[in-house]
Amino acid sequence: MSGLLLQGIINGLIMGVIYGLIGAGLNIVFGVLRVVNFAHGEFVILGAYFAWFLLQALGIQPFLAMPLTFAVFFGVSYLLYFVLIPPLAKADDPEISSLLLMFGVSISMGALMLLVFDADARSLSFEMEPVFLTFGPVVVPTVRLVALAAALMIVAGLAYFLYRTHTGKALRAIIMNRDAVRIVGIKVEQLSAIAFGLGIGLAGVTGILTALVFPSFSPFVGADYTLIGFVVIVLGGLGHPIGAMLGAILFAVTEQVASIYFNPSIATICGFVLMVATIFVRPTGLLGRQALR
Amino acid sequence: MSSPTMAIKDVTVAYHGDITILNKVSIEARAGQVTGIIGPNGAGKSTALKTFFGLLPLRSGSVTLHGRDISRQKPHDRAGEGVAFVPQHRSLFADLSVEDNLVLGCWVFRHDKARVRRRIDAIYDRFPILRDKRNDPVSSMSGGQQRFVEFGRALLLEPSVILLDEPTAMLAPKISREFYTLIRSFADEGMTVILVDQNVRRCAEISDHLYILELGRNKADGSREQFQEGSALRDMVAAWMDYKID
Repeated sequence: MSGLLLQGIINGLIMGVIYGLIGAGLNIVFGVLRVVNFAHGEFVILGAYFAWFLLQALGIQPFLAMPLTFAVFFGVSYLLYFVLIPPLAKADDPEISSLLLMFGVSISMGALMLLVFDADARSLSFEMEPVFLTFGPVVVPTVRLVALAAALMIVAGLAYFLYRTHTGKALRAIIMNRDAVRIVGIKVEQLSAIAFGLGIGLAGVTGILTALVFPSFSPFVGADYTLIGFVVIVLGGLGHPIGAMLGAILFAVTEQVASIYFNPSIATICGFVLMVATIFVRPTGLLGRQALR
Repeated sequence: MSSPTMAIKDVTVAYHGDITILNKVSIEARAGQVTGIIGPNGAGKSTALKTFFGLLPLRSGSVTLHGRDISRQKPHDRAGEGVAFVPQHRSLFADLSVEDNLVLGCWVFRHDKARVRRRIDAIYDRFPILRDKRNDPVSSMSGGQQRFVEFGRALLLEPSVILLDEPTAMLAPKISREFYTLIRSFADEGMTVILVDQNVRRCAEISDHLYILELGRNKADGSREQFQEGSALRDMVAAWMDYKID
């Protein structure tokens, strides 16, 4: 295997895990609430700005800012749920209404971030020594490796929560059979608010990781992350949080490896071709199941 | 006659605001008895059961539990008070294991880990097949086995009232007989059983009191004795429902 190919795979894995977190947050919200969160990318960017503010104003390092960011985003979103989502149930088509509502939230958030932070691209000025680590032919920025480790810890925490705790199992249960959770005495509204908080809390934390891995962020790039989120959940299976991770890694590795051999535009197309091919072969995504829908 | 454990009184329920499904329906159910609800398709039987559990808002009337008005209580609160519901369509979480489905059935007392374990073990003792398949996803089980999981999950709450909607639908006759015996045993153990069933003969056999609904209204009701062979009520129901009861 050539050094370049190995480099592409490593980069793809790092990107993939971070993309997977974007998809997992989007997937939890969609799976539990049937809400298409078009503003997910804006919440990712807001997370980056929040970390930037904590670093600039309070000197809190980005990795230390993650738990705080998650707590703030979770808490605010938990409350925001009760303002935004329950009224949708009265609509003739709640899913379409939710899509339009969150599209509006997306535009509003983009405009607000532009107003508050200006249009200039910003970056988290955070460096680690040594700047690069070398593994044979592969050179990886240290901060990317630490970001990968942080992302994997978040994935492990998320998996533990979803598969080992009562609330996590209830969240998975509501994705499988929303009507049935009422029968066992679960407060659906409260659980839905937790899902909304969790999804957006993940978006906030992922925003910090993207700001560490990519050179800069601005109020205009939220839609790009939303698109990536949709691609990976379609690949992995709608409503399946772990499927999103698998889909993301496949998408990112394809994109990064293709970028070695083709120009960047073609590489991006390769990622989307993978998605289209998956839809043709397996319309429910890699881990999605028709029965769950 | 003892006072009813659970009752709906003069209940009117409408879907989408203006399609009335139940019109001033009253049903009373007592402890230690099976209360059967029968009627043709569209009579409002399942709607009545959902109303008992609080899944549908009332337009008028009331729901009482142990004589207390619980009309405004949400389903999760009713579950917490010992009302269990087994709906007609599968209500399991397909990709979760039997054990996880039962664990979620303990949601209302989930913080009491000892009680959760004790209740699940009691269910395994009652339905040994579930212990054998505790780690299997319920989607891999047969229809009858899945019904056992649903019954077991309902019993986890140690319910005083158990609501059963077409519990033997889609089951083989031999398995169905097993379930009717089980349902009767719930009442014999002191539970209040409210049973909706299309199988009029079986329902009449195991019920202590039968309610007949037609087009969302009370048509008639009577005790098991009043439905005995040759009774006027039995003949009326048979003729009216176009059923061959025997």
